[in-house]
Amino acid sequence: MVWKLNLRFVFTFAWFYGFRTISRGPSYLIANISTPLTLLFLVFMLSHGELVKYAIAGGFLTVIASVALQSSGDAAFMRIQLRIQELFVATSVSSSDYMVGLTMSELVFSSPGIILYAALGIIFHVFTPVGVLVIIATMILLLVATSGLSFIISSSIAHVRNIWGIAGILSIVMTIIPPTFYPYTYLPGWLQYVLSLSPVTPAAILVQGYLGLSPVQPVMWLILLLDVFAYFTVAKVVTKWREN
Amino acid sequence: MIEISNLKKVYKNGFQALSGIDLTLRDRVTSIIGRNGAGKTTLVRILSTQLSPTSGRAMINGLDVMDDADRIRKFIVSIPQEASPVGIMTPAEMIKLYLVGRGLSLHDADTELRKAMEELDIMSFRNTPTDLLSGGTKRKVFVAMAIASNADLIFLDEPTTGLDPISRMEVWSAIRKIEGDIVLTTHYMEEARELSDMVVLVEAGKVLEKGTVDELMKRFRGKIRVEGPNLMEPDLKIGSTSIKYVNMESAQKYVEAGNMVRQVSLDDLFILHGVEIEP
Repeated sequence: MVWKLNLRFVFTFAWFYGFRTISRGPSYLIANISTPLTLLFLVFMLSHGELVKYAIAGGFLTVIASVALQSSGDAAFMRIQLRIQELFVATSVSSSDYMVGLTMSELVFSSPGIILYAALGIIFHVFTPVGVLVIIATMILLLVATSGLSFIISSSIAHVRNIWGIAGILSIVMTIIPPTFYPYTYLPGWLQYVLSLSPVTPAAILVQGYLGLSPVQPVMWLILLLDVFAYFTVAKVVTKWREN
Repeated sequence: MIEISNLKKVYKNGFQALSGIDLTLRDRVTSIIGRNGAGKTTLVRILSTQLSPTSGRAMINGLDVMDDADRIRKFIVSIPQEASPVGIMTPAEMIKLYLVGRGLSLHDADTELRKAMEELDIMSFRNTPTDLLSGGTKRKVFVAMAIASNADLIFLDEPTTGLDPISRMEVWSAIRKIEGDIVLTTHYMEEARELSDMVVLVEAGKVLEKGTVDELMKRFRGKIRVEGPNLMEPDLKIGSTSIKYVNMESAQKYVEAGNMVRQVSLDDLFILHGVEIEP
């Protein structure tokens, strides 16, 4: 699929929509990183610093996933209110180009949050060489899965007035209930699998494992990949490109 | 050239938007006029490959809108009804993104958008976030996309709905600068008269009439519309109002009898078909 992408469109979209939002609307950026930072502070205080490494590791994932999930609001707004999606339907742009373009703009938009967490990770000695590679890989997979999920949500909503509330609820539920700010070993085994409906869960378990904070569970790679495949494929099907 | 045969559209909720349209369009500017819900937008969305029909066929330059959508999309532009630019982006960014989506290089997109913005006299807004622009200028941004695309066929769905009269005239002036063929929908009769070579009247998913403004208005030549509650032998009655078309010379007689006299316009084509026109 990748070789068919209009990469010029994808990167132009990412630059104009992602970077320009940072430069022209910095309040969105602060709003976006305020939740994980607040939770990080709370975890630090309540655990007397003991769980801070978990919260920093989870913070990377929370920033990515919450931005992507909240983008369902953007996607619905552009489809229903601005009619921008319709504008592109009648061009050579495909639904994949459009989805990946919006996803990439979310990645650009979340980059300051990622840099901030990277700095915190260095200060608190969280990183290991393998751990860093795993963080990068899981963040990319998580971005694709949560963006797919976000398109599924945005496509199934008919009225733009509902989307911001739903996006907000999902963003909190799917990023804070999974083990992003606490050790995944606190969860019973069966609940880890139930919570894996949110791709944040396998991503968090992998990151904690490869950073040496908790036992490694390689099976979570498979679960994360399944989440990515399932959400992206369903999104491709349900995204209303040419309407019936 | 656009050829449409027996085109029907029934939405999932059961609403029949098109009830078998047969039409051939080959003029430079065609206006599809009708009131809200008449089927104008549905027709344009099917023609511009944004919506699938339930049955029937539509061909553009010999290409089927269902089977050859990818090829058609290379030479058309479709500006949706009430489309609005992304507020945080500038006009230049919006147009550039659109042109890159159409396959232009960044350099070519820059050249074309500059020419189009200069032509529409919106260059001074080039770097202004679009949420700071007036409604008319926002619409001009979309017209600039159409101009910059150098497309052969442009669909404009109600390009001036919701604009004040001055902004509307500015957008008309911008539309006149488009070089490709245009199919536009409107419920403003004045807009159809100002811009079109050909007018298609649509109501309840069907074509009522088609022709040039002069051809369509021929039947009213030298006549005036009289409205009143108690007209003798009216041509038609809408609600409690009787309507009669009379020679201009006899208008005075009807005025003295307490009736209202109005200049005949494209509205009368709908009135003649018994369709009430929105104010």
